[in-house]
Amino acid sequence: MQESIVKFEHVSMQFPGVLANDDVSFDIKKGEVFALVGENGAGKSTLMNILYGINKPTGGNVYIKGKKVEKYSPSDAISQGVGMVHQHFMLVPSFTVAQNIVMSKEPKKMGIFYDLKAADKITENLVKEYGLEVDGKATVAEISVGLQQRVEILKTLYRGADVLILDEPTAVLTPQETEELFQVIRRIVKEKEMTVIIITHKLYEVMAISDRVGVMRQGRLIGVEETKNVNERILASMMVGREVLFDNIEKTGTPGDVQIKADNLYVADNRGLMAVNGVSLEVRAGEVLGIAAIEGNGQSELLEALTGMRPVARGEFFIQGEKSNGKTPGQIRELGLAHIPEDRMSTGVSLQSTITENLIIGKQKESAFSKYKTHLKQSSIARYAEELFEKFDMRGSGVETRVGDLSGGNMQKVVVAREFSFDTPTLIIAQPTRGVDIGAMEFIHKQIIAKRNEGCAILLASADLDEVFRLSDRIITLYEGKITGEFKAGEIDKMGISYYMTGDRSGGNGGQEGGAENE
Amino acid sequence: MEQLAQVFNIGLLQNTLRTATPVILAAMGGLLTEQAGIMNIGMDGMILMGAFVAVAFSYACASASMGVLMAVLIGILVGIFFAIFVVKLKSDEFIIGMALNTFAGGLTVYLLRSIFGVKGTFSDAGIVSLPTVHLDFLDGIPVLGPLLNDNSIFVYITWVLVFLTWLFLYRTPYGFWLRAAGEHPESLETAGISAQKMKLIASIMCGVFCGFAGAHLSLGYLTMFSEGMSNSRGFIAFACVIFGMANPPKVFLAALLFGFLQALGLRLQNVGVPADITSIIPYLATILMLVYVVVAGDRKKKNKAKKELKNIN
Amino acid sequence: MNKLTTAFQKNRSYLTALFLSIVTALILGAILMLITGYNPLAGYAAMLKGVFGNSRVFGNTLAKMLTLCLTGLAMAVCSKAGMFNVGGEGQLFLGGLAATMVGVCLEGISPIIAVPLAFLSAAAVGGFYAWIPAMLKVKLNVSEVITTIMLNSVAIYLCTYLTNSGGPLLTDDRGVLGGTEAVPDPFMFSQLIPRSNLSTAIIYSAAIAFICWYVMKKTTMGLEMKITGENSRFAFFSGLKKDKIMVLAMVASGAICGLVGMFEVYGYQQRFMDSISNEFYYDGMLVAMIMNYNPLGIIIMSFFFAVVDIGAGAMELSIGISGELSDIIFAIIIFLMAAEGGITKFLNERKARKEAQK
Repeated sequence: MQESIVKFEHVSMQFPGVLANDDVSFDIKKGEVFALVGENGAGKSTLMNILYGINKPTGGNVYIKGKKVEKYSPSDAISQGVGMVHQHFMLVPSFTVAQNIVMSKEPKKMGIFYDLKAADKITENLVKEYGLEVDGKATVAEISVGLQQRVEILKTLYRGADVLILDEPTAVLTPQETEELFQVIRRIVKEKEMTVIIITHKLYEVMAISDRVGVMRQGRLIGVEETKNVNERILASMMVGREVLFDNIEKTGTPGDVQIKADNLYVADNRGLMAVNGVSLEVRAGEVLGIAAIEGNGQSELLEALTGMRPVARGEFFIQGEKSNGKTPGQIRELGLAHIPEDRMSTGVSLQSTITENLIIGKQKESAFSKYKTHLKQSSIARYAEELFEKFDMRGSGVETRVGDLSGGNMQKVVVAREFSFDTPTLIIAQPTRGVDIGAMEFIHKQIIAKRNEGCAILLASADLDEVFRLSDRIITLYEGKITGEFKAGEIDKMGISYYMTGDRSGGNGGQEGGAENE
Repeated sequence: MEQLAQVFNIGLLQNTLRTATPVILAAMGGLLTEQAGIMNIGMDGMILMGAFVAVAFSYACASASMGVLMAVLIGILVGIFFAIFVVKLKSDEFIIGMALNTFAGGLTVYLLRSIFGVKGTFSDAGIVSLPTVHLDFLDGIPVLGPLLNDNSIFVYITWVLVFLTWLFLYRTPYGFWLRAAGEHPESLETAGISAQKMKLIASIMCGVFCGFAGAHLSLGYLTMFSEGMSNSRGFIAFACVIFGMANPPKVFLAALLFGFLQALGLRLQNVGVPADITSIIPYLATILMLVYVVVAGDRKKKNKAKKELKNIN
Repeated sequence: MNKLTTAFQKNRSYLTALFLSIVTALILGAILMLITGYNPLAGYAAMLKGVFGNSRVFGNTLAKMLTLCLTGLAMAVCSKAGMFNVGGEGQLFLGGLAATMVGVCLEGISPIIAVPLAFLSAAAVGGFYAWIPAMLKVKLNVSEVITTIMLNSVAIYLCTYLTNSGGPLLTDDRGVLGGTEAVPDPFMFSQLIPRSNLSTAIIYSAAIAFICWYVMKKTTMGLEMKITGENSRFAFFSGLKKDKIMVLAMVASGAICGLVGMFEVYGYQQRFMDSISNEFYYDGMLVAMIMNYNPLGIIIMSFFFAVVDIGAGAMELSIGISGELSDIIFAIIIFLMAAEGGITKFLNERKARKEAQK
């Protein structure tokens, strides 16, 4: 148990303009579950990418099983027994599960040909040996996210990994799937003598699964502790360098008229499969309706349909009382809707354009910003951008910075600043704080509640259950494109709601509505 | 009726094979880069360089095989050159492809002038063309006999190459890696194989295929080199790749269809349709092919959604 | 002037790279001449003489610059909005032919009516020919790169058929030579330098260039085009009519190309022949790409291109080095500029690594 299997010695990583790791030194012991925690951008993933050989450190050394790493490449790390399950899965969607598992170490026949049958057989044996059930012949694109994660783990096991790095493994899982994953971790550590490094920022998971925990902040290692000697509060203050106490944001006013209404809505996904199956909902002025759902259960398609980004297959929806099927996003915006999209990089901003340009778009034809709707008034546009830059607390070298050069948090502030300054009576918000640090998250949450208190009707979807609970007045759960439950704030807790998120309408305990039993 | 017979006869099919072959070859190269995730619109230039080098060395060494060998060699070099920009330096594929076409067009004409002292076209009795293949046992068979016999050797090699391309892509690990490099490069990287290397290999193989295409064009199809003789075949090959969804047998059929249309155009000239008009056919057909792919794909998706809705009822 | 200095400083590394690329390309061109047995100094001297030797050749150079500048701007206008119009050559052919036929048919009518009609027809036909691939792209998502290339061949073969033996638009007064009837003299643009190709087309070109620059840099339309070109999903999300913007940009690009065709005929050729353009549009495209679609940069760079292009033609006539040398030099500049972006990134990363090790 005390033998050191991985050792970091004064490791530093300098990216252009960013010092991602700054003189980090610590050991990981054989057979332990080591949790690495820190805020977004603290340098956890960078450090693990170094261990896995994706990045070569700009300073310091790494030792694996007592041997100094000379050549940094994934294939060398793999041969040393290091395996990594990335936050974004590293699977080829059109290949089968088996083909993904054996990739780079394919069984061959006649020297050069790929033995596809042997690959299936290998997968079958691995599934049996580790008890991670999954169909080897299924195409990866067709299986659930939870199963894809199993494929990732099997992939590393097939390569003979005994040090397993899991990068944010629970971000896409339900509480139940998380529990199953933890059981797998405990079993492989105990039975196969593996070492597991888990990167996370969910502190209760650290407490639940790890033996020791290392905390990182701004590229530095703040400390390594035995998990039993710390609690969530201590870890949180180590992470942010101060005591974190989320203020209670005051909610005022009473709900008014219905502003957003969907009636038996069906929406197809990109492949033509039905992702939203008959959803009806209403959002009133001055309330936040939160959608709690695991990724891929139709919430993205639902919000895209309601904002005009995706066609509706059947059913109707109304924005401000006006039927909006078949309208373009532009026409729906004119009815009084603003939208924070799920994926800010591909939908919410233009990366090559400046902050100013990203803030002004949508308002460029207003008389304050252009003459005769054509000639741009450059100076008043610049002034307006400066104002928003201040008001939304953006950091960076001014409004002429390219948005692509901003951090995730600042980029999201650009989106929020633009959309909120349309002053619309309705808002549709998806993943408002994904990949955003705690400071910016707090700021954005306050802005959302301020809008609510002003009487705005807000529909919110987030993969972060804490966020949904904190901001919503009412919560609906979606499972496979259907609404499985509806609750008032405070009526249900996180464990209880997770049953509804997995399609169990009884709330997990035989029909007792609300499902608020003990965790 | 008589005119119809003049158009639709065995010669039409023979012409189809002849005209399709260079496009098939280039398209096989193009589907490899496509599968590896590279948009390659520089194939036209690659073909042109292959054609020039093949004629130059066939003439200089009085050997057709020397011409082909050097065309392949230049294909490898151009493939590496293309990959350095597109893969290593991550330059814009569109710009590099277009620049490569301009470069090839300029360089071949420049060298034609400075080496052979001619402008426009170089044809000489000293250029050794590729041999044709005659199989005696086919002689007795109607239709197939005349169709499959006496073709340039490259026609046969091409069919083998189509099969080998398929075998490589779908039955060897390297083919899987190449496809993974295009579809999800990070997953290949983390499995310990360089996606850039696979892209480089795809690019080199594309260069080789285009070298073959060029050599066939200038030593098999014709026995000469003329300015811009690739005549947008690289682009047509690219369209065939898209039409055939980068799948070797489907791309092969798409290229055959193109060859058939071009052959039809040649035949129509025999019955008095102006050559400039019949030349338009393959280009228009390519556009229609592309439109068809998209419309068919859309309809499939819509039908799927409709079917799903029905199931709900 | 102050503004110009800041613009220079802002793009200093780009301009340095550009300068070095041009010098390197010229050196590589010299090496190629050496290898193929020519004296590069004599070659470049012949080039310069062919451009600045007398007012006639210099006029020709300026005329060439106009063509390159307009085709370059045509490329810039559509690529700003995310569309790649590779079909300018075909649009140029059809626009030129349309304007010529309008001129031929309106013989005897006042130029004040006929010439504007010719303008209109050239722009309309060129624009329409770009509208087809634009609609295919916007409505069906068919790659405009391939369709425009195919449409080039279609247009060129069609024009060749129409204006050569057997074609309906062939003139009777040129014997075996192809070409349409001549545009009546009163309709032709006046020549600015005697016996050169330079005509008052330069005034129209300047106006077109100004409009392009103004629209792209100073108007809501320009902003909307930029956003659409950089991220069309974001543009759609923001309520811009992205399809309309893309089609419009493409049609504008085609219209400019159509006008270039007209200027060739009305500027000096006087009748439409299938040799109206020798891949003029491709050269313009290269200019636009090298200058990153910047309107001002395109205007300056087209002068350099015109010098090399006209100079290379003169070099071919005087000492027999193939004029295609110009294409080789242009392509090399693009390769070097494209490589420059990657090399800069590579150097920056190495610098960062060194700093960290300190």
